[in-house]
Amino acid sequence: MSTDNPTDRATVAASIQRLFRNTVVAVSGALSRRDGQVGLAVSGLTYFLLYLAGLRHLGLGPAGYEVSVVSNPLTRAFRQVGPFQWEPIALVVVGPVELLVAPLNMLLGAVLALLVGLNLAVSVVAWRGPAACRLGPGAGAVSGLPGLLSGFACCGPTILLAVGVQASAGLLSLFQWLLPLTIVALFGTLLWVGSRVETA
Amino acid sequence: MTLGGAGCAGDDGATTGAGSAPGSSTGTSAASTATDQNDRPEPPTADSRLHLDFEIGTLEENIVSGGVRKDGIPAIDDPTFADTPPDGLAADDPVFGLVRDGEVKAYPQYILVHHEIVNDTIAGDAVAVTYCPLTGTAQGFERGPVEFGVSGRLVNSNLTMYDRGTDSWWPQMLATAITGPLTGESLQEFRVTWTTWDRWSRTYPETRILTEDTGFQRRYGVDPYGQYNEKRGYYSSTRTLFEPLHDDSRAHPKAVVIGTRTETGALAFDKETLLRQRVLTGRIDDTLYVAVADTALETGYVYANPESLSVTASDDGYTIDGTAYDADSLPLDRTLSFDAMWFAWAGFYPESAYVN
Repeated sequence: MSTDNPTDRATVAASIQRLFRNTVVAVSGALSRRDGQVGLAVSGLTYFLLYLAGLRHLGLGPAGYEVSVVSNPLTRAFRQVGPFQWEPIALVVVGPVELLVAPLNMLLGAVLALLVGLNLAVSVVAWRGPAACRLGPGAGAVSGLPGLLSGFACCGPTILLAVGVQASAGLLSLFQWLLPLTIVALFGTLLWVGSRVETA
Repeated sequence: MTLGGAGCAGDDGATTGAGSAPGSSTGTSAASTATDQNDRPEPPTADSRLHLDFEIGTLEENIVSGGVRKDGIPAIDDPTFADTPPDGLAADDPVFGLVRDGEVKAYPQYILVHHEIVNDTIAGDAVAVTYCPLTGTAQGFERGPVEFGVSGRLVNSNLTMYDRGTDSWWPQMLATAITGPLTGESLQEFRVTWTTWDRWSRTYPETRILTEDTGFQRRYGVDPYGQYNEKRGYYSSTRTLFEPLHDDSRAHPKAVVIGTRTETGALAFDKETLLRQRVLTGRIDDTLYVAVADTALETGYVYANPESLSVTASDDGYTIDGTAYDADSLPLDRTLSFDAMWFAWAGFYPESAYVN
């Protein structure tokens, strides 16, 4: 392989370093602009809510006001119920809105939402900026889709019913990889978008 | 291994799995005897195995992941009951009713859809009340000194339980272990009645009902599969989530049958037809079976009728030799029966007759 050559390895390392630096600069630049900040906030929050809804941790129910917590929340919070899914420790009901609080899932959702938001922020800025990026702002959102679908793997992948596909061992295995795939895809698109923004 | 001393369930129409002696004790006595030489707790098993249409090896090969981990769907191990129904329960919502020695309990479907197993005690006996949403089956099992949990695996779309003593795996409908140290053994079963809260509470005003205080936080108002009170979603769709072991087009896949299986075979009665006609007959091998409807609870009971006695519906119930009987107390040997979705019944028992 070409990377066996120390000079080539140094070139590759320099390219990667430049890619990361470029992305950091692009992200910083995007977040310094109002349209970038709005892009991050709106897309990040939207994704976060959709992720919780996909897990069925957020949705509508009978109207009421209630906050109830399990008796052993610290233990329960780390009890894994499925791939990248943990046990809810509290139920919050505000009017017709019900929220199951699973701290690790909320943390994971927040990380995913942040990545989606950064993708969108950079894409929006690049799209609107003078050095137009050929990548549309939808790329980050598309990268985040598998993460939304991963929630449906719980309790039998009922989303398959909606699309008329029968579950199989292979398909269920795929569901387990949706979330890691999302994280890789989101990082990948962020680097890609960052590399295409004129930062000089 | 079959362990003695664990008998059938009292006077609530229970059967004990094939072959166990009616009226014998259960529960705590079973608990004290249901251990093997290593003091490993085991659930009490029946004296003989229930009929299977498939080899155990074939069933084992068809175990699939349901998408959740072992105990990812948590059984209720410390159930609480109330005298009044929870706010989330409507009159026509389904409940699973259980009566034993004068104690009456109801388990709402909308709670069990999130837990599938309740490790409970009734009339001093340790029992498991179980529900599989994907096959529409509610069944009861003696559990002796052990609890049951949800393995996260399915066979023929059916909940596969594991016992926390031996870790043997028990597809609920088969009530027979297909992996683990108890492979080939059948559990002791008892009758659980699928009806509505309105019908159950009118028939048994003294009933207590499972509460949402399960020890877990869930959005109990949300059924991930659909809804029963006005059937929607998975419960009415022709689609199944997993491919059945055997496809059978004799009925709508989600049509409800009242099925019974013995040591020698299986038999299914269309529930809607039974409730309309009140008496249906069918055969397992050469033996005649009669199903009668309980119109108050909108359920049915199945009896072996080897003498081919004439059973007719009347205003007083059911008449045999000029005497009227209630649906649940015909002078015949009652077999355990339960509601199931047709595709699931036919999947496990493709050789079963279907009476409609």
